Amino acid sequence: MSSRAVEVAKGVPPLAPEREVIWPKRTKVKLSNGLQVILAESHSIPKFHGQLIFLSGNAAATDRAPGLAEMTATVVRTGTQKRASRQIEEDLRSIGADLSTEAGSDISAISFTGLSEFAEPLLDLVQELAREASFPESEFERERRQKIEEVKLDRTQPGFLAGERLRKVLFGAHPYAQVSPSGAQVTAYKREDLQSVYREFYTPQNALLLVVGDFEPQEMLKGIEKTFGSWGGDQPSEKTFATPANPRGRRVYLVHVPGAVQTQILSGCHAITRKHPDWIKLGLTNTLYGGAFNSRLVINIREDKGYTYSPRSAVNPLRHHGYFSISAAVRNEVVAASLTEMFYELNKLRSLPVPESELADAQNYLSGVFSLGLATQDGLLAQFSTVAQHELPDDYLETYRAKVRAVTSEELLATARKYLDSANMQIVLAGDRAQIESQAALFGELEIFDAQGNRLAS
Amino acid sequence: MNRLQIPIEHKKLANGLHVVVAPDSTAPVVTVGVYYKIGFRLEPQGRSGFAHLFEHMMFQGSANAPKMQHIKLINSSGGVLNGSTSYDVTNYYEAVPSNALERVLWLEADRMRALKVDDENLKNQRDVVKEEVRVNVMNEPYGGFPWLDMPPVAFRNWANAHNFYGDFADLDAAHLGDVQAFFKTYYVPNNAVLLVLGDVKPGEGMALAEKHFGSVPAGAAPQFADPSEPEQSEERRGNVPEKFGTLPAIAVGYLMPKRRTSDWCAMALLDQSLHGGRAGRIHRQLVLEKQIAVETDGGVDDLFGYNGPTQMTTKILHKPEHPSEAALAAFDAVIRETQEKGIGADELQQLKVKWRSDYYATLESGRGGYMPKYGLMHLLACFTLFDGEPQLVNNILDGFIAVTPDQVHEVAKKYLRNDKRAVVFRIPAKNGLPAGAGSQEAA
Repeated sequence: MSSRAVEVAKGVPPLAPEREVIWPKRTKVKLSNGLQVILAESHSIPKFHGQLIFLSGNAAATDRAPGLAEMTATVVRTGTQKRASRQIEEDLRSIGADLSTEAGSDISAISFTGLSEFAEPLLDLVQELAREASFPESEFERERRQKIEEVKLDRTQPGFLAGERLRKVLFGAHPYAQVSPSGAQVTAYKREDLQSVYREFYTPQNALLLVVGDFEPQEMLKGIEKTFGSWGGDQPSEKTFATPANPRGRRVYLVHVPGAVQTQILSGCHAITRKHPDWIKLGLTNTLYGGAFNSRLVINIREDKGYTYSPRSAVNPLRHHGYFSISAAVRNEVVAASLTEMFYELNKLRSLPVPESELADAQNYLSGVFSLGLATQDGLLAQFSTVAQHELPDDYLETYRAKVRAVTSEELLATARKYLDSANMQIVLAGDRAQIESQAALFGELEIFDAQGNRLAS
Repeated sequence: MNRLQIPIEHKKLANGLHVVVAPDSTAPVVTVGVYYKIGFRLEPQGRSGFAHLFEHMMFQGSANAPKMQHIKLINSSGGVLNGSTSYDVTNYYEAVPSNALERVLWLEADRMRALKVDDENLKNQRDVVKEEVRVNVMNEPYGGFPWLDMPPVAFRNWANAHNFYGDFADLDAAHLGDVQAFFKTYYVPNNAVLLVLGDVKPGEGMALAEKHFGSVPAGAAPQFADPSEPEQSEERRGNVPEKFGTLPAIAVGYLMPKRRTSDWCAMALLDQSLHGGRAGRIHRQLVLEKQIAVETDGGVDDLFGYNGPTQMTTKILHKPEHPSEAALAAFDAVIRETQEKGIGADELQQLKVKWRSDYYATLESGRGGYMPKYGLMHLLACFTLFDGEPQLVNNILDGFIAVTPDQVHEVAKKYLRNDKRAVVFRIPAKNGLPAGAGSQEAA
């Protein structure tokens, strides 16, 4: 690939013996109302970070309206039985806290961080938002009007347009295909719809409470039991959806952005969930391909050819399905050249075993960066949250590094052959059709859309 | 009140390199940074964007670690690395498992000693930087707003007013001689600070710093151009067309007082009163109450990290049915209120608690969650390079805690004046000029 000989470094100091990686002990308790509580100490700063996660998100409400769980989360923070919006914001400020409410495909969440000395009032507010949100009419109306402007703005972002189209292409009739509502869908939201989502999703049976930081766990647990113990509610009914078919044959989807001076490439295919036994193998394959600075894709299209600033690939896990994606924003003249290199590197992983030294480098990378999160409260929270949300085994964090280091070159070859086939990659290009249409058409049957999602004649 | 104290060792090596070590064995992770006291503000005239382009060149190879080896050696040690260019400093940093500490120091010392780059590397990174500018500015709704739009309107000294990402013609004109000259002038140990934070034993960090950096020869002390601005005595306005976005936008920037003065501390808290999230006055009045704006944010960008003229900037995206002047008038009403009434003692007390909480969060983390102690590194570096006092990290809070309501009231009157501000209107191209926005004044 590289147009010049690779030179090696001279006189590099060897690595010292590794210090043991020890994850903080977790206190896991299920309260009598069904709320799962996970606590861990980290005394780096006199603060704590937490998340109250509800295991239902936009996907579980898509049959009612796309984005409904997200709108519900937005309005949750704007009023309770006891506090008006302004009071909530000033109370947060007075205890030095930050709080956000959001929903993704699979979860709704209240995330918070604050000073340890004010843990009690912050947990109390979180509890109040989870149990007694009042959905004030005027706040709902304002947030809905805001949202209409926001969805218009989203449709001017090449990255958003490419991501939205890829999800539609990969997931078809499944709720995972919907990443954002249309303006008309937002206009049709009703306050009562939000309230029923809230009643169904925001229950202790459906929730995980994670708190990491500077506190004494038994004391924190007592406070949580006192604050959250009397909260009641049922498990929402689980909806199931037919498994979407992994698209076969390569096709190209061009989202026309008039005047774009660059093209956002996003290519993808189905992959796996975090619970899948191949997760670590595919993660390592991704690291080698485009998941790190020192990866084949970055070396090729950035450091050798200068086509792009930020190429990357990722395995994206949703709860029930996952997908693999390759992205790069490239100048318009090199769209075809960039796709050619992307697929060349993919094919190479399927055809030739990865050399042992390159495999070892990638294993060190993946196991090393995994433990960087140990140093910060939010880094720890992110790891514990992943384990809890995806129902991974209790020893997942402790055994991860050894599992990464056990993967062999043969297994990587088999993994690439199983999941990554350039002949079936779906290609999305967000850019100006006048600049890139002829290049796009070289890679498969072409469909063209405008930014609103309307099909254009090709 | 629980106050965080960071243990710090600080020493200047014989070649002038400052070394700051802050041991913390909580996690087996160490963060290393090297900061050079040169940013895009004082890059050479006719070479706009060069400080940033040069930052890219620092990853292209040094005497004993050729192209891709820096990246490969850090990643394969289980770590991450990056660099960034700002107004007055350029940084290079790594977070790695602590067993790779010596390797990281060796690499940073190797590129402080000698760059080894060629024309092909320069052409390659010039292409990469152009794609960076396209993805972040030219192809992005509101790209560069207001950080690239504001300087040419607000400032008169080229140092503060030019395009920091670089005009493409200037990037194209840059040649290898510029790279080596810039390196020789500014990338000398006596213009830099090395930071070692995290899992390192007291004493060990200093010893390793001496071992790897001690022999890097000192250079001539760099001469810096004067970045000061002529006194501003009139409001400045400019218009920038928005190519992709759907909403009209306004940015308003007020000149900040000199850093580390009591006015500066009071302005920082006033900034929080105005911009502090959903409780902030601007968001509350423009977005929540009057509902003219869809989004507002702003403040002083990197309060501790600048060393020259800077502004407190508010950014407003407003609904198209309101004329720009109406949105600006609503903003002015918020400012006038602080000038007429100041802020209450209760509010100031809340702001101080939030300030302390945010400060701890900055020290612990601060860059995308993957770079532990990025904020601590940044503050230690700036306090060392600008003030010669890394210990400020442990007592800078005192000045903010001491601010009184009267001081906030005074700075509102003294600094939030129309003749000390600049306003940029970024209007969706199809909507034309904002009503009454005046003529183009961008320099």
